[in-house]
Amino acid sequence: MPNQLRLTLMLGPALAVILLLFVGGVVVGLGQSLDYMPVIGLRVPTLRHYLAVLTDEGFRSALLLTLYISLVSTGLAMVLAVAAALLLRQNFYGHRLVTLIFQIPLPVPHMVAAAGFVLLLTQSGLLARLIYSVGWLTQPAQFPVLVFDRWNVATILVYVWKETPFIGLVVLAVLRGVSQEYEEMARTLGANPWQRFRYILLPLLMPGLVSTSVIVFAYTFGSFEVPLLLGQRYPNTLPVMAYRAYIDPDLQQRPTAMAIGMIITTIVIALLAVYRRYAQRRQHDGLLFR
Amino acid sequence: MLFKKRLTFASLVLVVVITLLTGCIAPAEPTGNASQPSPQTTVPKYTNWDDVLSAAKGTTVNWFMWGGSDTINAHVDTAIGGPLKEQYGITLNRVPVENTADAVNKVLNEKAAGKAHGGSIDLIWINGENFRTLKEANLLYGPFTDLLPNRKFVNWDNPALAYDFGQKVDGYEAPWASFQWVMEYNTKNVQTPPKTFEALKTWIAQHPGRFTYPAPPNHVGSAFVRQLFYWAAGSPDIFLQEFDQAAYDKVAPQVWDYLNAIKPNLWHAGDTYPELAAMTDLIANGEIDFNMEYDANRASTYIKSGQYPDSMRTFVFDSGTLANVSYVGIPYNANNPAGALVLANLLASPDYQIALTDPETGLGWMVAIDPTRLSAEEQAQLAKTPRGVATLPSDVLSSHAIPEARASWVKPIDDGWTANVLKK
Amino acid sequence: MHKFFRWLLIVGLVLGVLLPILPQFVWSFAYNWFFPSLLPQKWGWRAWLYLISPTAKVGEAWLNSASLALAVVILSVLIGLPAARALSLHHFRGKRVLEWLIMAPMIVPGLVVVMGIHILFIRYGLADTFAGVVLIHLVPALPYFILVMSGVFANYDTALEETARTLGANEWRTFWYITLPAIFPGLLIAALFTFLVSWSQYITTVLIGGGRIVTLPMVLFPFISASNHPNAAAISVVFILPAIVIFIFTARSLHQEASAMNGLGRL
Repeated sequence: MPNQLRLTLMLGPALAVILLLFVGGVVVGLGQSLDYMPVIGLRVPTLRHYLAVLTDEGFRSALLLTLYISLVSTGLAMVLAVAAALLLRQNFYGHRLVTLIFQIPLPVPHMVAAAGFVLLLTQSGLLARLIYSVGWLTQPAQFPVLVFDRWNVATILVYVWKETPFIGLVVLAVLRGVSQEYEEMARTLGANPWQRFRYILLPLLMPGLVSTSVIVFAYTFGSFEVPLLLGQRYPNTLPVMAYRAYIDPDLQQRPTAMAIGMIITTIVIALLAVYRRYAQRRQHDGLLFR
Repeated sequence: MLFKKRLTFASLVLVVVITLLTGCIAPAEPTGNASQPSPQTTVPKYTNWDDVLSAAKGTTVNWFMWGGSDTINAHVDTAIGGPLKEQYGITLNRVPVENTADAVNKVLNEKAAGKAHGGSIDLIWINGENFRTLKEANLLYGPFTDLLPNRKFVNWDNPALAYDFGQKVDGYEAPWASFQWVMEYNTKNVQTPPKTFEALKTWIAQHPGRFTYPAPPNHVGSAFVRQLFYWAAGSPDIFLQEFDQAAYDKVAPQVWDYLNAIKPNLWHAGDTYPELAAMTDLIANGEIDFNMEYDANRASTYIKSGQYPDSMRTFVFDSGTLANVSYVGIPYNANNPAGALVLANLLASPDYQIALTDPETGLGWMVAIDPTRLSAEEQAQLAKTPRGVATLPSDVLSSHAIPEARASWVKPIDDGWTANVLKK
Repeated sequence: MHKFFRWLLIVGLVLGVLLPILPQFVWSFAYNWFFPSLLPQKWGWRAWLYLISPTAKVGEAWLNSASLALAVVILSVLIGLPAARALSLHHFRGKRVLEWLIMAPMIVPGLVVVMGIHILFIRYGLADTFAGVVLIHLVPALPYFILVMSGVFANYDTALEETARTLGANEWRTFWYITLPAIFPGLLIAALFTFLVSWSQYITTVLIGGGRIVTLPMVLFPFISASNHPNAAAISVVFILPAIVIFIFTARSLHQEASAMNGLGRL
């Protein structure tokens, strides 16, 4: 069947890249987490690294912290992205420049953003200096602890800063495609601005908003750079735990690192599966038009 | 039809995964696979220095090292890369890494992939735990130090040199420079620094929020805690033997008590411990009053580079501070061991070692070779090198140097700290 | 009142975006800058002098980063364009599984993947080569490309192609004169995202590149984690600027090509 051949040719290369490089990497990683590395003489798979990780007293607090950070930062980024998109869709003087500025965080690497927030938010950072200059504090210790703190304020802010434009651009694209007629109609029917947003715009935005947020959630759940740089020594997130085990000179820690990585992967995929199910049900109910 | 498609897809996935499992996870047995280099090829071994020199000529050495200091980077490129090119025709490729562990992990991965030669790292700047990891896993080239002509300047009878954190060097790494742990403080805020652990405890109680230390297993934080163990035990002796659980159990509670007692008065009320690099900012901006570091000259270097205010100075505890040596090691599968050997030999040369000690043109580090083995002229030259403005005189440092503990102590102490101090 | 409120929001947005990064530009000209000073106590060119010195390797790293990202973009177009088209214009069994597979690298933490892949790459002689680094960057980059392009194709009408073909145009001419112009703005956005993903890779390049391929993040990140702010800032500037310049050029398409951004909303 030529059509089938055609499809295979179209999808084959992409599939090959993913299967060989990505799935291959995960499979080898899985082997390492199970202590299965025949090259160095390990041939009997074992679950002991998973057991060790799951029974570690730090695991639960790390899991909760990871969930907290990724949920709060994704949630904040969603809200801010919608707000910014609603603002940027209006016509005002300098609108194009402001839209451009809004996108600046997109090409900035997370590490650079994290360094910027350190310079801004520590007890001797730029904000503290501004407050000092107006005389409201006399020494750094009087400034609230926003970096290396229990609530991971700086980590969350970096994620919000980085991901808001990412979600925002998608939302903005949807908003631009929305015909003004819906809103006009709602206005003539007496809907107030909140109602127009809640019942007209939000349902239209939902699919794009939720799906970009899923990408953001997965990213913030799985990356270690920012919480490593800005978080507390203990407790810290699961990816930081994995990274610390990975760079530990003790060879025994490497399978542990991979086991934590696999656990993170499992959690993210499970959450994603739940989301897909939910999204499909909504779709069948006709609440989301996709 | 539907079933057939699914079957096709499923078998495709299966085939790929099986290929991966057999091709990549299976042992690197000589299967005649053309893409695999023939197993006979090995990393060359040398018995004669002239062979090394001729093999090294015209090659490139890949030296993996921590890249976070522009001063060190520039020094390595000019003071080492320069002579290497001029005298031996070898090109130095300094590879900056964020963390030495990145390089160690690379060697481990190459080992796991069965790459026994042609490895991408020729030389690593290492010591302590990373050396122990590589040596115990048989991932180092050598022993090679007996081959180096400049071995005559190195006193391998000196235990401080022959043992890297108590791990016998056995010729598997060559010395680069000596280091000694010092405390750094800002004279603007602290007039008389506390020079005993008792005095430090009192000082911290009187100045809440102004002291902290990097969390072990960071090497500097780990050294701070180890020195408390020495203090609690009254002498370094037991730590120079292999790890002894009974001795550890006797000393440890006193150390945890000390650290937990100062905890509420630490920076951020002991709620967290900073990374070592972050402490540079903390003290420069006056958030804390003390910093600590293995490079006794670092405060001077940072004053010069603007990272520290001019008022920074250093001190050592009356009971002494830990001294150790930085080395370079060659991975077992190095592609260019000859070039790496020439570089290691250059590092131990009197000319280079003297240049290294100069804080203006070198790094202000301490020599790793034995000064008494130098010519009278060289010794005079060494004595003449200026000291950095915040660096202690060499006689003060050497009279306060105490040996590192055996490496087997390091991990139990770090783990003990995590369980009894960090997580408390 | 309403207008005032809007301006307040705009000022907030601009400040919120710029406050964390603008001081870094100032830092690159600082010699020292301690609390409580609002501006550097002493200015200096030290960071910029270091940046242009051969030790910094910034020129080499810049070239490597740019050519890697470019190669990744080209490969993504070649591999990703047909795949995206197949995924959005054709219906076939197992499509959902395929979508999952192709999007998975966006979801699974990079650290998990790279350690395993590294061993594979050494086995197949790809470690320490330019090609190997291109391939490893392709793993996280390709899903972004396909996602954006499948959004573009979802709104794409094939009727014009049919017409062209009935008029006797061959496949290549149809693609060149009909398809490409129609998808071009979206393609630009997809390429931009792909470029950015490759441009900011660190640990993958360190492990797979083996030091033979030094990129900008590799010369930058050691200074960030060492808190050497002037150097980190100066390198950051040359790191971020090209990306921002490309952004300015593609900003137009970014605004006009709603369907491309919709693609990211299709996960």
